[in-house]
Amino acid sequence: MRRKMHKKLLAAILAFVCVCTLQNGITVHAKAEDEIVLRVCNWEEYIDLGGWDEEERIELDNGVEILGVNPLYDDFEDWYFETYGKKVRVEYSCFGTNEDLYNQLNLGDTYDLVCPSEYMIMKLMAEGRLEPYSEEFYDKNNKCNYYINNVSPYIDKMMRENEINGESWSKYAAGYMWGITGVLYNPAEVTQDEASTWKVFANEKFKRQVALKDNVRDSYFATLGILKADLLTDSDFINAPDYASRLEDEMNDIHPDTINEAQDILDSLMGNIYSLETDSGKADMITGKILVDYQWSGDAVYAMDQADEDDFTLMFAVPKESTNLWFDGWVMLKNGIGGSAEQKHAAEAFVNFVSRTDSAVRNMYYIGYTSSIAGAEGDTTVFDYMNWCYGAEDSDTDTIEYPVGYFFSGDDADMDYVITASTEQIGRQLYAQYPSQEVMQRTVVMRYFDEDASKLINRMWINVRCFDIKDVPVVVWVIVLFVILALLGKRALGGKTR
Amino acid sequence: MQSKSNWLKLSKAQLALPYGLFLVCFVLAPLIVIIYYAFTNGEGVFTIENLTGFFLSTKTIGTLAYSFGIAIVTTSVCLLLAYPIAYILARGNFKHKSVILMIFIMPMWINFTLRITALKEILTIIEGNLSFHPFLNTVIGMTYDFLPFMILPIYTTLLKLDKNLLEAASDLGADTVQTFMKVTLPLSVPGIISGIFMVFLPSMTNYVVLDMLYNSTYIMGSLIGAYFSAYDWHGGSMISLILLIIILVFTLCTNRYADEDAGSSRGGVISR
Repeated sequence: MRRKMHKKLLAAILAFVCVCTLQNGITVHAKAEDEIVLRVCNWEEYIDLGGWDEEERIELDNGVEILGVNPLYDDFEDWYFETYGKKVRVEYSCFGTNEDLYNQLNLGDTYDLVCPSEYMIMKLMAEGRLEPYSEEFYDKNNKCNYYINNVSPYIDKMMRENEINGESWSKYAAGYMWGITGVLYNPAEVTQDEASTWKVFANEKFKRQVALKDNVRDSYFATLGILKADLLTDSDFINAPDYASRLEDEMNDIHPDTINEAQDILDSLMGNIYSLETDSGKADMITGKILVDYQWSGDAVYAMDQADEDDFTLMFAVPKESTNLWFDGWVMLKNGIGGSAEQKHAAEAFVNFVSRTDSAVRNMYYIGYTSSIAGAEGDTTVFDYMNWCYGAEDSDTDTIEYPVGYFFSGDDADMDYVITASTEQIGRQLYAQYPSQEVMQRTVVMRYFDEDASKLINRMWINVRCFDIKDVPVVVWVIVLFVILALLGKRALGGKTR
Repeated sequence: MQSKSNWLKLSKAQLALPYGLFLVCFVLAPLIVIIYYAFTNGEGVFTIENLTGFFLSTKTIGTLAYSFGIAIVTTSVCLLLAYPIAYILARGNFKHKSVILMIFIMPMWINFTLRITALKEILTIIEGNLSFHPFLNTVIGMTYDFLPFMILPIYTTLLKLDKNLLEAASDLGADTVQTFMKVTLPLSVPGIISGIFMVFLPSMTNYVVLDMLYNSTYIMGSLIGAYFSAYDWHGGSMISLILLIIILVFTLCTNRYADEDAGSSRGGVISR
């Protein structure tokens, strides 16, 4: 929620901090022999770096006070020493995209713990590069096993039920942040109905005023949503007993014919969009250059917060066809851990430390995304933080009851987890941060593309982005021909006057 | 003193050693890696499929054409804008020539992404919606970015031009237009070539301008990037190699025009 500074500025500071901590570490600790060095690689600006002002102190209803003074990984070093009596030094570095991380790993960079997205976790799992978490890690009786005690039952269930090669994800990955994708729109020009479908990107009414994501996976997902819209919204399909698994199959369709059809749709979308963006869409929404933007939920929250500051309203809609449930998770790498029990213990402890509810709140405040951590029974820190963010003020007269029990206790009817929010929150930050259970029913985890499909889809994306030589206007060919003839003619006439 | 005389004793070959090492490590070695990747497939077996694949696809060859299109139009516009300015500056009887020149060079003092961001806002005000004219915007952006690189070499060449030649031309009865066409223009060709060199090649690959001005069509630079992020290092290397060869051919073709003087004026500004 806090990201007031521009993303890039933050990234620059972060890079600077990374360098500083590394250098610090090298000079100060170079000679300590009994210390464990933990190499962690995370997304840029994806952890609380501390440095909060005193007035940013968050006082929650349950009495917990949250204030980020030092970077979270520095706090982890202290905590590890206090708890286990051993020194650990975190070498913290950052990556830009999942593909960058994968290329870095292939080029021989070694890390103990990395935090890629779900499809990269699947890919790394399938390639056998990941170190499984120890049995100890899942022991709920150990108070220091914050992850297994605090993780949301919803996220935990999803990770246990999904498998790669017969092994569930939860054996190798611990959830960190999660969210969905949807449509950020300007309610002054676009109705909620118009925005609640992937077809909005093909809507001629908003010609050149919609933006898609500049990456093949997100764009392909939206394209599938358009391609299969009729089927996906058909009531027979939705009410079928095996809806969830059929939906998953449809939205993970990587048949060559489907890819070809997707290319045609994307080709026509290219004539309707304003831009393919990664970062610029939020600013373009706020300045009114575009009306509709494909957005990840966390970035949507950020954009809505920013817009609110400028007295401008943006809203978030989830397409009725289906949406993408994504998450980033901590995985240990075999070649980093290298069979060292000490190393593995430190890595697991790091995951546990960032899974403490106070760490989760610090991260959520700093990053703006939704943490996978809900809190153990009796620990309402995360829920109280939600209330702190979105709960109605006493002065609000129009309020709604928004149940989020599915996330916190696994039961949406759980009356302990109902946020009373102002009606102004409808379709806004709260709905993006914790989508309703009704929305969650149509979410799909997008699997990783196997090698053959990956080739086809990447090729398709390049085809969409490239200029086809057949599209060169005739007049250009005529000019080129004319110039060539002129040059040849000049040479033939002995044009070498000099 | 002792150390200084030792220093002087070093032979030329020894002095060239640091740069030689640099050349081997950062130019030659990567080049060999690129060539290796370009002519192998995923299994490390020799293949020319990457090469034929590039020229057989209407999309990749279209990207080459599109890049050429942007580069040719940008270079032409730069030349048309820069030559008169350089000519007036070099010839004009201004009191503070260097100040006026500085005004044209000053945009280079500001970070290039910042300039393009500002340009984006200006173009938005003029056009309303940028996405309707991606090619035009790109050319404007590139011209904005590269114009000083065209002005400088032409200006330097014109400044060095021997005034006696011009006097001789008018003595022999040539009017202003004839003097320009027969004396000034041919003698400034090295500067023009040097300018073209510095504008044409970067504008074929500088995809940051396209990204920032919302032109989502790939050019050669972004196409290479796309191959690498799709883990296809072989295809990406082949396109890099093709681009390298195009640059090489271009250099060889223009080399015979560019003389030593123009070459030296190029050195300072090309390394941005």
